[in-house]
Amino acid sequence: MNSNDNSHRDSIAVEEALILAHQAFEGDQYLLRVGAPQIAASARPGSFVHITCDRSRPLRRPISIMRVSAREGWVELLYKVVGEGTRLLARHQTGERLSVMGPIGQPFTVHPQRPRPLLIGGGIGMPPMIFVAESLQGDTRYRPFAILGSEAPFPFKPRPSRALVPGLDDEVIAAMPLLDDWGIPSRLTSQVARPGCHQGYVTDLARQWLESLDPQARGEVEILACGPHPMLEAVARLADAFDIPCQVSLEEFMACGVGGCAGCVVEVQTDNGPVMKRVCVDGPVFDARQVFPAA
Amino acid sequence: MTTTTDSHLAVDFCGMTFNTPLVLLSGCVGFGEEYTRVRGFSNRDAGAVCLKGTTGQARPGNPPHRVYETPNGMLNAIGLQNPGVDWVVDEILPTLDFGETRFIANVSGSSIEEYQAVTRRFNDSPIDAIEINISCPNVKEGGVAFGNDPDMSARVVEACRRATDKPLITKLSPNQTDIAENARRCIEAGSDAFAVINTLMGMAIDIESRSPVIGNNQGGLSGPAIKPVALLKVHQVHQVCKPHAIPIIGQGGVTCAEDALEFLIAGASAVGIGTALFYDPLVLPKINLGIRDYLERHGMQSVMQLTGTLQLNTPAQQRCAC
Ligand SMILES: Cc1cc2nc3c(=O)[nH]c(=O)nc-3n(C[C@H](O)[C@H](O)[C@H](O)COP(=O)(O)O)c2cc1C
Ligand code: FES
Repeated sequence: MNSNDNSHRDSIAVEEALILAHQAFEGDQYLLRVGAPQIAASARPGSFVHITCDRSRPLRRPISIMRVSAREGWVELLYKVVGEGTRLLARHQTGERLSVMGPIGQPFTVHPQRPRPLLIGGGIGMPPMIFVAESLQGDTRYRPFAILGSEAPFPFKPRPSRALVPGLDDEVIAAMPLLDDWGIPSRLTSQVARPGCHQGYVTDLARQWLESLDPQARGEVEILACGPHPMLEAVARLADAFDIPCQVSLEEFMACGVGGCAGCVVEVQTDNGPVMKRVCVDGPVFDARQVFPAA
Repeated sequence: MTTTTDSHLAVDFCGMTFNTPLVLLSGCVGFGEEYTRVRGFSNRDAGAVCLKGTTGQARPGNPPHRVYETPNGMLNAIGLQNPGVDWVVDEILPTLDFGETRFIANVSGSSIEEYQAVTRRFNDSPIDAIEINISCPNVKEGGVAFGNDPDMSARVVEACRRATDKPLITKLSPNQTDIAENARRCIEAGSDAFAVINTLMGMAIDIESRSPVIGNNQGGLSGPAIKPVALLKVHQVHQVCKPHAIPIIGQGGVTCAEDALEFLIAGASAVGIGTALFYDPLVLPKINLGIRDYLERHGMQSVMQLTGTLQLNTPAQQRCAC
């Protein structure tokens, strides 16, 4: 018989999920809520789903999970049209069904000895950070702070934050309302001038905030990040410069999504030299130092 | 959703009993356990599972991107990423549940000696059968470079034959002029069975960067797009195999019971499922059920009665394909 640890078995559900809401935002961004109770029950911040965008393009696409409600049995995704698959996905309407497979992947982990998680999300890298934030909501052990950056208009209406963040310029006050409602401070950045947002990179604002902390507070910070590869590399460099641990969530083209094809690999540095790791099941969350070794 | 053991679906393949004619294909299911992550998936729904291509030493594989969807199919260039045969035999095989299905090793190498050494190592293991992959389009040496040359193919098969008494399956490439001639030579060299076909070589180009999408520039095309090519090759190889009662695992683009039935009729004794799992990880019981229904409708007791029942059109009806 099987002498193996079988804990991996049956961890991923395939559900014919009803589209409960599908809302378009500026910049080809879409918010999709589907009924998928099994996935909602076991998803964790950083998990993604592998979704059939359309029967005419049957290879699934990975999309990170932004929010779930285990009680109401839904999963919410935010995606941007980037290719043929997502273009076809955007056409599907409330009331239709999509095959959704998940939850997949190694999640982000926060550590009590690092009670100040700094969540950095860029563009369609924002969703997992919102999931992390929601999971920390009301947890008195943690004092998270989120920095969200986007070149496209934000897929929500920024509003002046009720939460004070010492160390930042006074005029950088725009926040994501949902996070504010959860009592989690957030600040926004964009290369484009937007009211209340820092004009520049997420890493500029992160550096400013880190510099404002005393060494002890800085020692309580851990960075969790998701976004475009160049942004993640800059975040990893910043974490290195401040000697702060950092987890990054990566993206790569996928076929199976369950570890079977080795189609989604990224090169990761280990004690035994470089190895190819599968983003789908070994990731998508990796230690930033393994992915972006210090130059 | 697991298919209950059904004698109608059972296939005798080189002396092994496959519970169903469905075989999970090499490179699509890792080393046998990966898909069991999916609730409702069971290796028991497959007659056999082919493990990822394995070489003498560990290989890191190709740079990304390694996979890309194309019309009715996909390109892949994994580059035989694997931990090497010793690791597979010592660390992975002991974790597999041989009570669930038959496990088939998939052997690759850059030299005849490497093919032989890997085969010998697997011969000394609980593996049920050995498939030699002389048709991988994604490595520089060996693979398809051997498989497109009937002389080289025969030499690889002969060397592996000397290294094992387990069932030996030769996986043939569609990227060659005369697949039937190649099959003939491999039978002489001692092949017990064939897998037909491996992927077709292809390319996809990003018009903005003007670079191939696949890191390796070219990749292997799989999925429904290659099914008609695969069916013809199975038919051609079956002509050679029939007199020797040599079975074929037909494969290339199977996504449903009807596709599987076509392959059986064309001459396959078992049918491979690869890319279709990526589309629907729960496809196995659906295909098994569909085959079962077909057998019942046609009053057949065993799926084995279907193999090679193709009724060709008479010569008078034939026209030139051009
Ligand atoms: C991602 C991927 C990896 C593959 N790796 C191997 C391999 O290691 N060895 C091999 O013999 N065939 C390999 N193949 C080929 C398949 O086993 C199969 O022959 C081919 O994909 C056709 O079947 P399909 O259309 O059902 O996928 C691979 C195919 C895919 C899609
Ligand atoms: S997508 Fe197949 S291994 Fe990750």
